[in-house]
Amino acid sequence: MSETSSTPAADGQDVQLRSAIDRSLRHPVMFFFTSGAVWLAIAALLGLIASAKKHHPIFLDGWSFFDAGKVDAAHINALIYGWGFQAAFGMIIWLMSRLSRKECTSSGTILVAGHFWNLGVMIGVVCILAGQGTGVPWLEFPTALWPFMLALYLVITIWSLIQFQVRDAGHVYVSQWYLLAAMMWFPWIFLTSNLFIFTFQDFGNPLMAAGIASWYKGTLFLLFFLPVALGSAYFLAPKVTGRPVYSYNIALFGFWSLAVVAPWAGMQKLAGAPIPQFLPYVGAGAMVLIFIPAIAVGVNILKTVSGHGDVVGASPAVRFTIAGIVGFLSFGALSFGVHGFGLKLIQFSYTGYGLDILGIYGVFSLCAFGAIYFIVPRVTRREWLSRRFISWHFYLSLYGVATVAICAIVGGLMQGQAIENANHDFLQGARFSVAYGWGVTLAWGFLLLANLFFCLHLFLMWARLGRRSSHPTLLSHGHAESPHGPEGEIDNYGSATA
Amino acid sequence: MKFKAFIFGLLVTFGLPWLLAIVIPFSQMRGLEPVEMAETGETYIFKRDGRIREGSLVYGQEGCYYCHSQLIRPTTFGKDTWRADWAGLPKNVEDGHGDTRRETLPTDYDGEDFAHTGQMRIGPDLSNLGRRLEQASTVTHLAEIGLTPESWLYHHLYNPRGVDGFREGNDDLEENSACPSKKGLFIEVDGSSARGAVITAKNKAGDDIALVPTDKARMLVSYLLSLKKDTLSQPLPEAYNFSKVKVE
Repeated sequence: MSETSSTPAADGQDVQLRSAIDRSLRHPVMFFFTSGAVWLAIAALLGLIASAKKHHPIFLDGWSFFDAGKVDAAHINALIYGWGFQAAFGMIIWLMSRLSRKECTSSGTILVAGHFWNLGVMIGVVCILAGQGTGVPWLEFPTALWPFMLALYLVITIWSLIQFQVRDAGHVYVSQWYLLAAMMWFPWIFLTSNLFIFTFQDFGNPLMAAGIASWYKGTLFLLFFLPVALGSAYFLAPKVTGRPVYSYNIALFGFWSLAVVAPWAGMQKLAGAPIPQFLPYVGAGAMVLIFIPAIAVGVNILKTVSGHGDVVGASPAVRFTIAGIVGFLSFGALSFGVHGFGLKLIQFSYTGYGLDILGIYGVFSLCAFGAIYFIVPRVTRREWLSRRFISWHFYLSLYGVATVAICAIVGGLMQGQAIENANHDFLQGARFSVAYGWGVTLAWGFLLLANLFFCLHLFLMWARLGRRSSHPTLLSHGHAESPHGPEGEIDNYGSATA
Repeated sequence: MKFKAFIFGLLVTFGLPWLLAIVIPFSQMRGLEPVEMAETGETYIFKRDGRIREGSLVYGQEGCYYCHSQLIRPTTFGKDTWRADWAGLPKNVEDGHGDTRRETLPTDYDGEDFAHTGQMRIGPDLSNLGRRLEQASTVTHLAEIGLTPESWLYHHLYNPRGVDGFREGNDDLEENSACPSKKGLFIEVDGSSARGAVITAKNKAGDDIALVPTDKARMLVSYLLSLKKDTLSQPLPEAYNFSKVKVE
């Protein structure tokens, strides 16, 4: 890692630079994480309502603001643009600053842009619930919003690109590849999708627009949320365990296999539709092959921390990150299985939704929580208040993700079997969906509860009510060994209030 | 890894699929022309009427695509053509029509801004909903319970469990429909002063209330009735007919 240094004087300078970087980013990073966490809680609540309506249609009957369909759209958009992007912004700007070893000089601009981003998400979600969405899955915000959101995205992330360009020459670390690539892939995907679906609407075919929307869904996770999560994992796993990454070559292979496979994913959703026939096939093929980068990254990160079970158990940052990496391995394995052998069963069952949620929550969000548990004490100069809150957040999240994986992804296969069975009436088969629907509702219940603890904890930290201590909050008893670097480094280098 | 090599790698690995899977198929699908069948000289041009563009937008705004699909896949991809009425109607001598079952064609979504192929099938496929409601046996059945295809849809949108199924012998839909209501698409009015398309339904207390569908509900119902797999009751050319049993 770039931050290790041999002489005490250089060590001192190093710590000062790090704390200067942390100080410069305190406000935007805390803003993104806390407002993201609030959106996550809202998304979980909307997810609960949306799922409940699928198996219990009279739930909230007559509250037309929360009608089925609209609440589904509001749920997924709040989850992506409210939580996902804001967590990613916080991770990108902090990680890129630390890795490029440059203070952020534009935190005011980023903070203002972040407020506007929140305003955009709020307008979008309210419009969806008021029945003014576009009807394009995952792009339901009114069309007037997208140029605005894209501009804000650029205003927020461009500084990290500049920091990278003006960094002192040296080795480019794995995390930086992932973060840089994610920063460049997203605008390309977003601009392409919006232009082809909305702007060129009158020139194109509505079915191809649906194909491009599925491609957006597939690539948004694989080429934006996933690389950001992996960038953070490659940063945290070696840093906290104090070991170098297991293999540089596997890291290289993991990155480029993702870059080659992922841009083809998405159109398997339109299998059987009259679009050029190779598109659904390459989409399904990409979803099968995604198991390869999953294995590469999984082996690399798990090998890096192997033998450090005590650290994985004790450090919330590593524990969440490792859970996210295991989530990615499960995502790869399940995606391989269901797309390789059961495409016709999963095309219209709960499985697709389950994979989306496993990706966004079980991979990205768990890694993001790991990053947040690491970053927040550094930028606020306070330690987390409660070991219990972190534990509850962890276990409830895990229960939620496991329930989604079992009920939606595996259960979705059986539901798919039932609705595909032409020997009985469709409605008879559709009744099988009810059981799996209950499972998804239960999962969102777990996740909602998990995130209420997380939100509360993060708010207390934002209010600077964290513990003033040089001992990090660990999940095991005793503070003998600190996984967060030499003890006392925070208090020894200047005041936190600057 | 040099930064330039890195950028070049990204441009190639992303640019290639972007070009091959997005840009080129998009331009290929821009101007699809109906093809004349060489054997018969027939040209099949799909036509439907109704407030298609507006209705499709409302269908999207209300998020119907989260639970309903509009896609009839070839048998290799799923058994959609085997389902009763989903892909068209089987030949019926009494009603006087031939077999109209077929897979989805790209022209099926003409007039819409976005093809709502659907996310899940919590509810049935709607590709042929309009024809299923308007076939002769259904119209007769609906008339017996005092409804038309249009008013049945209004009732179904207002309270899916407050109305019998539209097919004869499918009355258990009243208890079993899993469709949540769209009560926000209706305005409750005083029964005596209402004009136009008014439906009567029961409120929670069990009293009769008069309801006027909003503009959105009218567009949506007009759109739902336009969802048909045959062209204004004309039979399909043989080449498009992918149904399981080809009986003429």
